[in-house]
Amino acid sequence: DSHTQYERVGADVTMKCGSMDWDAAVTWTVNGTDIDESHLNGSYLILKNVNLSQSGQYACYEGSSWHLKYQTSLRVGMPPKEPVLMCRSNNYPKGFYCSWHLPTPTYIPNIFNISVIHGTKDMVCEKDATPKNRCHIRYLQLFSTVKYKVTLTVTNPLGKNFTTLTFDEFAIVKPDPPESVVAKPVPNNPRRLEVSWQNPSSWPDPESFPLKFFLRYRPLILDQWQHVELSDGTSHTITDAYAGKEYIIQVAAKDNDIGTWSDWSVAVHATPWTEEPKHLTTEAQITETTSASTSSFMAPPTTKICDKGAVVGSGAVAVCWTAGLVVAAYSVLFI
Amino acid sequence: GDSWGIFTFLCAALCNLPALPALNCSEELGAGQSIQQTYDLTRYLEHQLRTLAGTYLNYLGPPFNEPDFNPPRLARAERVPSATVDLDLWRGLTDNARLAANYRAYSRLLCYLRVLDEQVGTAELRHRLAHFCASLQGLVLSIGGVMSSLGYPLPAGPAGTPAPPGAPAAPNDFLKKMDDFWLLKELQTWLWRSAKDFNRLKKKVPPAVVTLRLEARGF
Repeated sequence: DSHTQYERVGADVTMKCGSMDWDAAVTWTVNGTDIDESHLNGSYLILKNVNLSQSGQYACYEGSSWHLKYQTSLRVGMPPKEPVLMCRSNNYPKGFYCSWHLPTPTYIPNIFNISVIHGTKDMVCEKDATPKNRCHIRYLQLFSTVKYKVTLTVTNPLGKNFTTLTFDEFAIVKPDPPESVVAKPVPNNPRRLEVSWQNPSSWPDPESFPLKFFLRYRPLILDQWQHVELSDGTSHTITDAYAGKEYIIQVAAKDNDIGTWSDWSVAVHATPWTEEPKHLTTEAQITETTSASTSSFMAPPTTKICDKGAVVGSGAVAVCWTAGLVVAAYSVLFI
Repeated sequence: GDSWGIFTFLCAALCNLPALPALNCSEELGAGQSIQQTYDLTRYLEHQLRTLAGTYLNYLGPPFNEPDFNPPRLARAERVPSATVDLDLWRGLTDNARLAANYRAYSRLLCYLRVLDEQVGTAELRHRLAHFCASLQGLVLSIGGVMSSLGYPLPAGPAGTPAPPGAPAAPNDFLKKMDDFWLLKELQTWLWRSAKDFNRLKKKVPPAVVTLRLEARGF
């Protein structure tokens, strides 16, 4: 019959060949490969200072008959360190979730057990299917004066550890970042950018629990952010952008009254509207009529290349110029 | 013994003063009162309370001023209606019920804080408490103003004596401090709740409506 044996990294392991006498003649194998006799003490297998690579299937055979006398699966690992636990309410007032992980791997199976106590009441934290190592709780009552105490215990065959978090209902409120952040230039306004976004979809009731927002923006070429705090609305027009410079923009959200700011949203890039260089436009107008039917080179009007809507980088200006030059060159050929 | 007697007397004296005459005297109430102002007041008070609570808990000393201090709620009579409420119940509150709950709670909290003010040791604390009580009084009047302008009757006084005869006196110094701790906690929680209450009211009763009704009543 087969066993599983768990041992700590660095431990000395002695394996007995089942019920065989100490002085019996045996052969040990690991994952099917014979083990050198130097590791044997009589019929015992001695493994000193085991490491992870020594995990495997060990078997012991009687010398002459080659009878399988003993089998074990050796798993080398470590007892768990103190787990890392985090609880957060991104869907206030519905409830909160807790997620956890181990700071270092143990290399053997671990079992996590989570308990939530609210005052004198035990609450059940329902485990999520995905991601693993996460559970959620629904609030039964709101505006509680009593703290929540969450204890996470982790156990494996080599040891046990735990951690505790105690918090007020309000302290763990942290929304998810705003979604669908969009930044657009404003036509005929070289210093404006129009930014809009949406409430995070996980926030269940923005009517009764409104969010406020924090916008930050800077041109790519500078390190200093500019900030705007907005107490309502999901859009804002930046009016002091540097003309022609590409900007990076992010938004964060917070419950109007309680908790902490969300992480920053995904960054969006935008460049304010710039006026078309006048002489290029003239060239384009001339060559449009002559090159359209005869040239296989796809030369759309210069303005189209430069007009890229939401994502306009300084690189596009270079394209404009190149396209203009090429068009100019062709026009010379055809005149 | 006699501290209990003083407590009851002070509360009875301070708390049975009807709120309405004060309402009539103040010029800022009536038309000017809006839900937005009340909301802003709760935020201001919440901010003030953070400093006040810190100072007061330090005055009480350990373990009350330890951040991890998480005592069990002792089975003593609840002096103040708790802010804690079932989610669906809270959602379903009528405007009148919502406002009344806030009015009642702050009236009683104000009363207890005033008593605290009388008893407290240091001059600094007395000054802070007095300032906070003045602001809290403003909040009570503000809520009362909103209720009146919406045509709701004010809840009758702070429900008789706020210290119901059944409530046992704190038998020792530690338990008295515990009572103070919970009072501050309850106050803090109410201020958090009120922000949400008034957010909800803001959406349902825009300030314009409040003004209209006042005009109709000949203010």
